[in-house]
Amino acid sequence: MQIRIGVFLCDCGKSLSNIDFPKVSERAEKLQDVVHVGLHSNLCLKEGIEEMLSTIRDGAIDRVVIAACSPKLKEDAFRNALEEAGLNSNFLSLANIREQCSWAHEGDVTEKALELTAMAVERARFLKPLVKKDVPVNKEVLVVGGGFAGMKVALDLANLGLRTTLVERGLALGGRLEGFETNPAVPINSMRKAIEENRDIEVLTSAELTRGEGEVGDFSIRIKKGDEELSRSFGAIIFATGYRPEISPGDFQLRPGVNLISQEKLTEILKAPERLELRPKTIGFVLDVSDENCRLPTLSALNDALAVKERLGSEVYVFCKSLKVDSEGVEEVYREARDRGVVFVKFEERPRICSEDGRVKVELNDILLGDEITVFCDFLVAEERIMPSEGTEALSSILKMRIDSRGFCQDENVHLYPVSCERKGIFCVGACRGDLDIARASTDVASAVLSTYELLAPGTAIVEAERVKVDPEKCRVCLTCIRVCPHGAIRLVRVDTEREVAQISDLACEGCGICAAICPAKAIDFEGYGDEQILAEVQAIGESL
Amino acid sequence: MIRGNNKIVAFCCENSAYLAADKAGRMRLHYPDNVRIIRVPCVGRVDLIHILKAFEKGAAGVLLIGCHEGACQHLTGNTRAKERAAYARNLLKEVGIDEARLRMANIAPDMAQQFVREIEDMTEKTKER
Repeated sequence: MQIRIGVFLCDCGKSLSNIDFPKVSERAEKLQDVVHVGLHSNLCLKEGIEEMLSTIRDGAIDRVVIAACSPKLKEDAFRNALEEAGLNSNFLSLANIREQCSWAHEGDVTEKALELTAMAVERARFLKPLVKKDVPVNKEVLVVGGGFAGMKVALDLANLGLRTTLVERGLALGGRLEGFETNPAVPINSMRKAIEENRDIEVLTSAELTRGEGEVGDFSIRIKKGDEELSRSFGAIIFATGYRPEISPGDFQLRPGVNLISQEKLTEILKAPERLELRPKTIGFVLDVSDENCRLPTLSALNDALAVKERLGSEVYVFCKSLKVDSEGVEEVYREARDRGVVFVKFEERPRICSEDGRVKVELNDILLGDEITVFCDFLVAEERIMPSEGTEALSSILKMRIDSRGFCQDENVHLYPVSCERKGIFCVGACRGDLDIARASTDVASAVLSTYELLAPGTAIVEAERVKVDPEKCRVCLTCIRVCPHGAIRLVRVDTEREVAQISDLACEGCGICAAICPAKAIDFEGYGDEQILAEVQAIGESL
Repeated sequence: MIRGNNKIVAFCCENSAYLAADKAGRMRLHYPDNVRIIRVPCVGRVDLIHILKAFEKGAAGVLLIGCHEGACQHLTGNTRAKERAAYARNLLKEVGIDEARLRMANIAPDMAQQFVREIEDMTEKTKER
């Protein structure tokens, strides 16, 4: 069938004065398969689009080339307009003659504008229609980890009507909140009760993931609980595996016998102060020695310091370098601690910590006094490093997600939204992403709940079917595409009794085209950026050289 | 090769370089008009055949411009493109084409000046021949 291309030139309200539009129009008419050339002034406005639509309707045009501003600005609007006129929305090719031509060069650029238009026309000749279709998505959600973030996600999703399975490998829900002073206190018990009472939440404790397959909308997951192995499918997965505190003695340059305790231990003492033989007279906290980003340790040290003042009445020293008070409300806690008599001592060089007469001797250079000071403490509470929970690596490899250099989930890619990872349908919330406090974890939860709801609640998702597709005849099953796909969107499917071939999930595909470039058999076609479409553009440059 | 031709084909990632080029236009940073930008969804989409075809058609230079390493929206697209460019440079050398005519660059979407510098640089380099 003869291709009929309509070219629409826009002079942006006659502002692109260094392009001779009548000349471009005259020469564009001579390009192959071009049946109509229109010169417009404001193609992006409603009137402009109306004009274009009426031409498409009665001009018997089946491909549209628009030479106007950057496609980044109006591409979607133009595609919608095409659909309105009854054309497939993929039959559009754009030439950027404003940002990358008229505005970018000095002097007359008519030749370049013509060449860009010719490139777009050449590309348009190879476009094929893309069919939009609905694919069903599973509306159930899997939440991994039953700490604060996991519990909150499960509750919020269930309240929105999405059934949720909460998998926790420990014996009970609650996570680290048990050993943590928070301000304001988190109503952990009422959260637990609400989860128990909610019929849309299934809780699996002492359970772990063993296998994960599939992609967004249809993950099949195997969960091991005791001796049983359960098979379930989910539409989305929310990762809330939290963190693990770790004291590394090397950080403190300790000599043996020092009464250094963890924050967890201190919480235990604070819960039952009557069990102590002797009330400690002085308690010290040491921060900033591991030279890491230490938001959570600072937060808990401040809250603990206040609790110590209240329940034990001891003298409290906090040794720090630069107190990190960037979490919400922490500045206030810090002021309150100072008002209650907590002493903050700032150092530049690491304090020297040793044991003397059964107490902890801390020697350091106070930068405010400019002098050496020595403090004796009954207990010294150590700063903990925040590490990813045990097994994060194994879990992420089950779900084919990447972890960052420190072992946290999706912490690196600045382009992606904070809670989504490179695999569509998997979200990471809370401290499994790094050193996050309760307020930040709550923001994460809200964001992940919204994205999950948006994705799953309609029960179906609209995709452009087979935008990137594998030709089953050409596929040699080398698995290269499966290995390189950054979004885990390709899997093997059986075509007949003999053969399996690679297949790309329309829903999980993000359209990068890495697979199309790397396939050794050239079996993958990427509509819009296919080999013949890109080569057509290159060819058009060549022809006018 | 047609004499006096100095066209440069720039394959630009639509998440970074293409936006930088748009920004350069908005800022009216004028650069040589011999460059032809081809938009790709990720610079990892650019195949060997696209690069070689450009040279076959007589391009003076070919640029692959993607996101900074570690900032690729598709994680490995830019590093794959870099490897492909290195491979293509070897091929060019073998057939006697100056391999400096093919370059891979990394820029961020707001680095309009850097984009202009890349184009000017390549234009300068291909003029010298």
